[in-house]
Amino acid sequence: MPEGMQTLLAKWLLRTAAQLLERQERDAVLGDLTETGAGTWRSLCEVLGLATRRELALWCDWRPWLAAFGVALPGSLLLMGTSLSVSCTYQRLTGAAVFGVCAPTGREGFLLLGCQALLLLIWAWSSGLFVGVVSRRTLWVSAALCLSPCLYCLSRFHHSSVSALCLFLFLPPAILGARHALRKARMRPRAVLALAMGATALMIFAWGNSALWYLHWTLILPAWFMATLGRRAGRDAAA
Amino acid sequence: MLGEFEYLLITAAAGLGDNAYGVSIREEIESTTGRQCSLGALYTTIDRLEKKGLLKTWMGEATPERGGRAKRMVRVTPKGVHAAKTFYDAVMRISRGAAWVGS
Repeated sequence: MPEGMQTLLAKWLLRTAAQLLERQERDAVLGDLTETGAGTWRSLCEVLGLATRRELALWCDWRPWLAAFGVALPGSLLLMGTSLSVSCTYQRLTGAAVFGVCAPTGREGFLLLGCQALLLLIWAWSSGLFVGVVSRRTLWVSAALCLSPCLYCLSRFHHSSVSALCLFLFLPPAILGARHALRKARMRPRAVLALAMGATALMIFAWGNSALWYLHWTLILPAWFMATLGRRAGRDAAA
Repeated sequence: MLGEFEYLLITAAAGLGDNAYGVSIREEIESTTGRQCSLGALYTTIDRLEKKGLLKTWMGEATPERGGRAKRMVRVTPKGVHAAKTFYDAVMRISRGAAWVGS
């Protein structure tokens, strides 16, 4: 590669890498590098070194671990299963054959389907919100961990009766939840508490109709965590 | 108790006074110790010390030789001075009688 091209590439890489730093720090670091007359490749190494150290420092805390490995990864597996279950139930209720079955199974009905769909929405939204609130700066790792089982299942899922996209019904509400957290949008404590209580009531109903697996109960934890957090924030604001 | 690099950074910043910022602190450390000091190590340590209340930082003015970019200025707090003095005293005390002292 000609030298001019290499320099252009290094400059582009440097500008891109510098975006990993916060605005003020980026200003200070790039200014320091300009002042010392460091070459573009050396500057790139310095910026990447700092960005790596910053990223690693985030993982000294327990929050990114909880968000990524406690919620995003296991949550995506459970929510993917629920997405598929909701899709299959809907198709069976509308008379379409799914996995060779075209009639409702167990206590399936539109009421239970609505309940499951609503639960899926709440679980996914509150999980996304939880991940965003607990560890905003490592959200990309949580997102990658959430997507990795999705992509794996997508590559393995070959059924003519069900579209592979049915696996990902949970993604839009989860993304909206994370987006809500990224925007630092204010949550009304009472609304979050009502959401957690409503979801719990729906889960009790679904559990009573044998429509839940015991591990699904873990999906309510983010909603209750957010409710507790909102209540505490409200109390602090009042004080 | 401070770490070795933290002590070097606080001492360099204290010695530089009003001119303490990234480049000058780095040059001071490198010229004194003869060791390379990366910006990554420098800025993450500055952040850590600021969180502990041992340093205070703020953005200074932009200058043409820096491409119009601002400096991150550093000042050692009284708590930082105390921590550095404690570290220095400990090193002096433990070094008493060591074979290499005074040689």
